[in-house]
Amino acid sequence: MIGAGIDAGSRTIKVVLVRADTLAVVGSGVTNQGIRQSKRAMELLDNVAQQAGVSRADIGHIVATGYGRDQLDAAQTKVTEITCHARGVWQTMPGTRTVVDIGGQDSKLLRLDERGAVRDFVMNDRCAAGTGRFLEVVASRMDTSLDEFGTLAGEAREPSAISSMCVVFAETEIIGLLAAGAQEADIAAGVQRSIAARAAAMAGCTVTEPIVFTGGVALIPGMRTALEQAFGRSVAVAPEPQKSGALGAALLAATRLG
Amino acid sequence: MSACCTPSKPVQPGASNPSCPPVPACCAGAGGTPSSARHADVAWFDDMVSRTCAFAAAEKEKGRRLVGILCEYTPREIILAAGAWPVCLCGGSAETIPAAERDIPANLCPLIKSTYGYSIEKANPFLEMADLLVAETTCDGKKKMYELLARRHPMVVLELPQKADDPDAREHWIRELRKLRSELERRFGVEIGDGDLRQAIRLMNRERRLKRNLAELMKQDAPPMTGRELLNMKSLISCIPDDLDVYERAAASLSGRQAVADADQRVRVLLTGVPVPHGAERILDLLEAEGGLVVCQENCTGLKPLLEDVDENAADPLEAIADKYFRLPCSVMTPNSRRQEALRALARDWRADCVVELIWQTCLTYDIESVAIRRLAEEELDVPYLKIETDYSPSDSARIALRVQALYETVRARKSS
Repeated sequence: MIGAGIDAGSRTIKVVLVRADTLAVVGSGVTNQGIRQSKRAMELLDNVAQQAGVSRADIGHIVATGYGRDQLDAAQTKVTEITCHARGVWQTMPGTRTVVDIGGQDSKLLRLDERGAVRDFVMNDRCAAGTGRFLEVVASRMDTSLDEFGTLAGEAREPSAISSMCVVFAETEIIGLLAAGAQEADIAAGVQRSIAARAAAMAGCTVTEPIVFTGGVALIPGMRTALEQAFGRSVAVAPEPQKSGALGAALLAATRLG
Repeated sequence: MSACCTPSKPVQPGASNPSCPPVPACCAGAGGTPSSARHADVAWFDDMVSRTCAFAAAEKEKGRRLVGILCEYTPREIILAAGAWPVCLCGGSAETIPAAERDIPANLCPLIKSTYGYSIEKANPFLEMADLLVAETTCDGKKKMYELLARRHPMVVLELPQKADDPDAREHWIRELRKLRSELERRFGVEIGDGDLRQAIRLMNRERRLKRNLAELMKQDAPPMTGRELLNMKSLISCIPDDLDVYERAAASLSGRQAVADADQRVRVLLTGVPVPHGAERILDLLEAEGGLVVCQENCTGLKPLLEDVDENAADPLEAIADKYFRLPCSVMTPNSRRQEALRALARDWRADCVVELIWQTCLTYDIESVAIRRLAEEELDVPYLKIETDYSPSDSARIALRVQALYETVRARKSS
């Protein structure tokens, strides 16, 4: 039997399939979020299953997580991103004690105990400051893709100070910086620093290593280094960091299949 | 701010009884999500606001005075001893906030803004009926808001010292309460004898004991009330005889009732932090809708003011009153170690699975103190802790629900391992 995990995030949907007996990943995929979330999620599930040579009948249990989990009627179980990310990371990087997840519209920090159970978590409040959406807005303002934006940040000589916590105000601030002749690379690095600083502030003073970075923002070049600087500790990026939540969901689905 | 509540929506004047307009339908429902049938003694409080309003109007007709209070540090005993009724005026409505924000900063505690907004809109009948307000220097936001409130309402301000264990601070507090006693005597033309104080102490002790008895029913494996039902069993005006009778009866009549069918599946929540005034119960409802049961409330609308009584046999009743109130473990005190002592005992006796701390936006003292409370919960009590910082607007309910669900998943995972 197969356990399926669907992570319906604010920007993308992720699917992971695992074998219930061996917990081996047999397929996975990512698609952009759309208006008809449930339909898109099911299409992705079908595609991933087909590519993996798995029939829908083989999928014994579906766990949905993420922002849109309650819209996914096909899922027998709904679990929060917190529990799923912890489970996913523990599978790929056992021994992890701190997970920093930065996704499309939220960022969170999880502390795990020595057995991988969630000990404590913190999430961003109310607004999208310090999230992937923040990066998207800034990258689009500077006419670059997220990838290019990350590469650009690597060329910075003197990262700009971005003080606004609000996405809208930060955009205004960046227009001002550009007008004042700041280098694009410095602005890009400044934005990455500001996001990393917010994640570190969320953590407070107690961060236990190993620290693992998950979520779509972990894919952007330079973000891991920015986080390392903010924490003053080494940070590892989870394998396929965008899919950590979906992997955790799939593993929880597999557990339910016994 | 126990029994602290005002109508959850502005009440428009001009109804059949001019001194006591009817309360909108939204105030009449008890809210919450009790899954079993309505219980008569619980339902008695469904129309608390309108009933208390009628009571206040009738008492005013008889010549009794109404004194508004805005904090649990204000001793109701001294007001009762002056022959007046103390009424709580703390605002719990989001709807009066826009009016308040014309004068005071938007970036302020919603309780302060709502309370002030009621005055601007003249929408709280109790505030309009009040002969005097007794305010206090607790947090900076309230203290400065009171100056604006005093433009429309006669006011006495108690200066609350904040070094909880300092003998000089205690002496100062006693002097402040002696001044309150003289001020009430002067303004109302009455004499407040020690005998009057003793009588009021016995009355308030009775109310505290009865409410404590109800809260203690929540220690059971299958509590007879939801946390929301317990919170609703209160009145804006303390010691109304009919209410005391219902509290007394309820302790017996509720035994054996099961508030929820799945009590053994529920996560037992100890709620701490800021008070939950009438109309602002959103987070408490959310905690229970997501599969929790708020078994214990360590805040000013819960057990905090009920933990200790006033010594009925003390030589000086006024000093006895001062001692009880000065020991209230509010975060304005420094250090506030009594709050942690209380939380240790409550978590143990009510068998809390987790601690949830509610912080109203910009409540600096509770927000900063939350560092210590988190440590207490996680390291000493060994239970998960969640801090929720919000205001009266429902815009973040979905995001808060996610955190609450994750908290409950963590609690259940720990229990099963």
